Amino acid sequence: MEQSRLRLAITLLRQLLKFHPKPFLVAVTGASLYAICTVASSFGLGYVVDQVIIPRYESNKIDHHTFLIASMIVISIGLLRAVGVVVRRSYAGISHWSTSESLSTQLIRHIMKQPTMWHQRHMTGDLVARIGVDSDTAASVLGPLPFSTSVVLLVVLTSIWLVVIDVPLGLLAVTVIPLLFALNIGYQRRIDRHFDSAQKALGDLSEAVHESFDGVMVVKAFGAENREHVRLATISSKLKDARIRAVNARAVFEALVDGTPSLVNVSLITYGAFRVRSGSLTIGELSSFIYLFTLLVFPLRIIGYLLSEIPHSSSGFKRVREILDEHLELQPLIETLPRTSGIAVEVNSASFSYDEQSDLIFKDVNFAIPVGSTVAVVGETGSGKSTLLKMIAGLVSARTGSVKVGEGETAMVFQEPFLFSGSLQFNLTLGKTISIPVIARALWASVSEEFVSELEHGIDTIVGERGISLSGGQRQRIALARAIASGRQTLLLDDTTSALDPATESLVIDRLASLSDTTTVVIVASRPTTIKIADHVLFIHDGFVHELSTHDELMRTSPAYSNLMLSFDIDRKAS
Amino acid sequence: MSTDLEQRFPSARIIGRGVTVAPALKSGIGITFLLALFGTGARLVIPILIQQSIDHGLQPGHVNVSYISRLCTIGAICVVISSLCLREATKRLGNRAENGLFSLRTQLFDHIHRLSLEDHNNEKRGALVSRVTSDIETLTQFFSWGGLGLLLDGSQMIAVAAVMLAYDWRLALVAFVTSAPLIFVLRFVQSRLVNAHNLSRERNADFLGSVSELMAGAETLRAYSAEQTMINSVAVSMRNRRKSNVRAGVIGAFLFPSGEVFAVFTVMAVVGTGLLIGPAGGLTSGALVGFVFLTYRFLEPIAEFTEIIDQVQSAVAGLRRVLGVLDTPIGPPQSSNPRPLPLGKLSVDIQEVSFAYGARLGEDDDDTPVLHDISLHIAAGQHIALVGPSGSGKTTIARLIARLTDPTIGRVQIGGVALTEVSNESLRRRLIVVPQEPFLFANTISYNLQFAEPLASTIDMKAAFEELGLADWLEGMPLGLETHVGQRGSSLSAGERQLVALVRASMVKPDVLVLDEATSSVDALTEVRISRALERLALGRTTISIAHRLSTASRADRVVMLENGRIVEDGSHTELLNAGGKYAALYEAWLNSTRGESHE
Repeated sequence: MEQSRLRLAITLLRQLLKFHPKPFLVAVTGASLYAICTVASSFGLGYVVDQVIIPRYESNKIDHHTFLIASMIVISIGLLRAVGVVVRRSYAGISHWSTSESLSTQLIRHIMKQPTMWHQRHMTGDLVARIGVDSDTAASVLGPLPFSTSVVLLVVLTSIWLVVIDVPLGLLAVTVIPLLFALNIGYQRRIDRHFDSAQKALGDLSEAVHESFDGVMVVKAFGAENREHVRLATISSKLKDARIRAVNARAVFEALVDGTPSLVNVSLITYGAFRVRSGSLTIGELSSFIYLFTLLVFPLRIIGYLLSEIPHSSSGFKRVREILDEHLELQPLIETLPRTSGIAVEVNSASFSYDEQSDLIFKDVNFAIPVGSTVAVVGETGSGKSTLLKMIAGLVSARTGSVKVGEGETAMVFQEPFLFSGSLQFNLTLGKTISIPVIARALWASVSEEFVSELEHGIDTIVGERGISLSGGQRQRIALARAIASGRQTLLLDDTTSALDPATESLVIDRLASLSDTTTVVIVASRPTTIKIADHVLFIHDGFVHELSTHDELMRTSPAYSNLMLSFDIDRKAS
Repeated sequence: MSTDLEQRFPSARIIGRGVTVAPALKSGIGITFLLALFGTGARLVIPILIQQSIDHGLQPGHVNVSYISRLCTIGAICVVISSLCLREATKRLGNRAENGLFSLRTQLFDHIHRLSLEDHNNEKRGALVSRVTSDIETLTQFFSWGGLGLLLDGSQMIAVAAVMLAYDWRLALVAFVTSAPLIFVLRFVQSRLVNAHNLSRERNADFLGSVSELMAGAETLRAYSAEQTMINSVAVSMRNRRKSNVRAGVIGAFLFPSGEVFAVFTVMAVVGTGLLIGPAGGLTSGALVGFVFLTYRFLEPIAEFTEIIDQVQSAVAGLRRVLGVLDTPIGPPQSSNPRPLPLGKLSVDIQEVSFAYGARLGEDDDDTPVLHDISLHIAAGQHIALVGPSGSGKTTIARLIARLTDPTIGRVQIGGVALTEVSNESLRRRLIVVPQEPFLFANTISYNLQFAEPLASTIDMKAAFEELGLADWLEGMPLGLETHVGQRGSSLSAGERQLVALVRASMVKPDVLVLDEATSSVDALTEVRISRALERLALGRTTISIAHRLSTASRADRVVMLENGRIVEDGSHTELLNAGGKYAALYEAWLNSTRGESHE
């Protein structure tokens, strides 16, 4: 397992260090300085004991000169050691955060190049987690890593130094290294299990809590507060139990890791006494030996923790790579029609399915929409009306056939449009420069000018996350205004007026039609009044898109169409 | 809200209140601390052994090996005992912390479920979930790392200081005085560090916010080829996040070795003083060497302390938010002395009721009244429809009848008993609300039905479908009652979710039914099923429908029309149509909007 961890670490590092190798190297240099100074500081302590303290008691005289030298040695080594720490920690942070930023940037660039189809297959929350959290987790191993290198250096230097001071004593002391290492690894393995089950319990808990609070209305309506309380308490007691098992394992580890080196240290003193008696060692050397040994213990205690970061980071990196390794999918191909054609949208023998395996939503679609007309797309729920619009908008690609759009491009507005948390102004322009009269006209056409002018800050009003401060109908109208302001010549409205009352809806459609001779409106509609206003109707039924026709014509010729109109009306008939 | 709380409750009080709410956190803390004090003993054994060895067994030229062996045996025993104490202290702290947090968490569940619906709106829901999960997690983090660190490092400093004083009070004084300025350095840098950490947390949240907006709005941005502007603004927030984190890291980097820096100066001050005191002052060489070791041990925990400060801050902030939720008063308060509801059908009486949202909390910004002095008697078994434009107060009346909220002025009675005097349990057995967007749990249909009636058998549930004329629909489900409905019922259509919600309501066999009609359009067949099920469910029950489709209103016994929080018309559908008032006008408009050309 440790073997594979090491290999994991090496692969991970090779990939991460590509981005910003310099700060990492500086951090490693700082860490090395720290390791060297740590070993040197024990030499300083030995000097103080042998040259300053013991002579004071043997000769009963204070040697100012040696005290000064000893102070200089001890203090300058201490300061250098601190410099090492500062350099290591600062640059490790730079290395971690710069790498995290680079990973996020790569992810964003890649994701934003993917077409809408790709985005629809991926959950927003998951993508955000990969960009914002996983990239950070992946890079986070770079934080403690330079310290790990200094630990290795420290262990090697100290082992050598300890053996140099006194061979048998040194060998005895070095035994603690594999001992602590084994202890650490055994502990990490055990604790990982508990952490995993705690992590899983936490996941279960937050899912259950989310759902329970989400459905609070039902909980209250059925007086189920107590039952829900018991259910959630049961899940959280699993979390508590896993955590308690972890803490108990940890208590044993802490005690062992604290006690073991102390016991080795006690035996070092005992054995050291023999070595001093035989004259192989001075008291100062023994002291510096013991001091160095205590210094060695701290990094050894946390090496296991450092190693435990590796699988964590590695799984974060894997999640980042998963997205980056997905090849860029092709953007839907939309051909442009010449202005002279007088056609706004032309679809030829097009078919569509969500992927190659699934059934076709519709096939052999042929129609041409003349510039300046208003077309209602009619069909049952789930018949593919939105998909057809998205295909024209170039958001999804037709499986076969071609889609051509007149000059001036299309703008699609969704039933539940997305508003950005900034100002209305930003939502209307999306950061582009659009003149005030154009915006005013767009607000007028979407019947928004009245409510916008009533807002305290008018067009500069901040709409809040997803436009939360506006009502559903207002959000729809702002999105419509955005489409109009963009100057696109063909507006594709996917039930964009569903939250408006019938009167306002009719007004919107009238104004849209009057915008200009060259503006074409394609609207998904289910209100008979709306369908009535349209110049043409595109009727989708059973995977088949009828040719462009009119309401009257369809009522006469298509039983399916007249049935659908009746069902829109069923409620009225029931009364 | 958080800044307001911050002013009201400083950190110390927050911690104090925290342990009052979850007493497990402080139970036996004295013994835990004592054990920790003994537990750090292992770290003291070595300096003491060195002193003893040098002074009594390790003179140059004369080494008393048997003395040192005896000494070391005692030392080894001390190490073992203190390790056991350490294990016990760690265990106690961890177990009690987990128990305390468990109790805090379950108290939160309970409290949050009882908060009023105003505190449960979409904006606040995410915050409530994170109170129970991430805020409590910061506390867990604190107890398993920072809290343990504080306990062990704190006891180490205290134990070492005590031993230092016992050895030589003069040297101890020198050591304390020399290292004292460290406190000022720490305080000076710490406030900066805390601010830096707060800033980086903020920047991190900004970054996540902007990324999530970029991802959620990707389709829109693509549609207008406006990706670059947003990508640039995300890049800016990402750069800010990096900068703030690096800054916090650099400040921490300077703070971290401050203990070690002070240690070298202190050690030399101690040695210098020791030399001056010398044997004449009663100081042995062993004591002086031992003292050097003690000095290092004394300042050793500082590095870890600097790391813990940030955790303490986060933990206190988390605890503050948790307590803030527990301080929010719960929804309609429970009656302390509940009265039983009469058996049989129940009438509903609304008596001179006015209502304003937020008035209960004394917030003065959002208290425009929704209802003005409404009185309404609904006879037992009557089906009434509430109609009126949105914002007219229909939903509020429904909520008042269901006691999801209490009136600001006036009272509501059910079966002649004031709602405030009815126990929640008995009310929920007699009155059921079916909300506009019914919520289904991500489980099977039978789980959702048993949520209403835990004791219901498969036969009961099938019978309930049968009763509402939905047996054929249930048969069409792949696994019947065991069909999984998906998250929030997403594998069913909106209309099918309505159906399940109606069956769920019927499980309780309520006497009063409050129906908030859905506005979303559903396909024709489901529409027919819903109407049929509604009709059967309402049969013989006192029913209050909030009607969005006027066809529903036309089927009710009585129609009450609301406008701006006042009842403007009240009568049967035909009466009101004949009267030619506001309802008649509304009905006419509705007919027009739903009329196709075919009918002209």
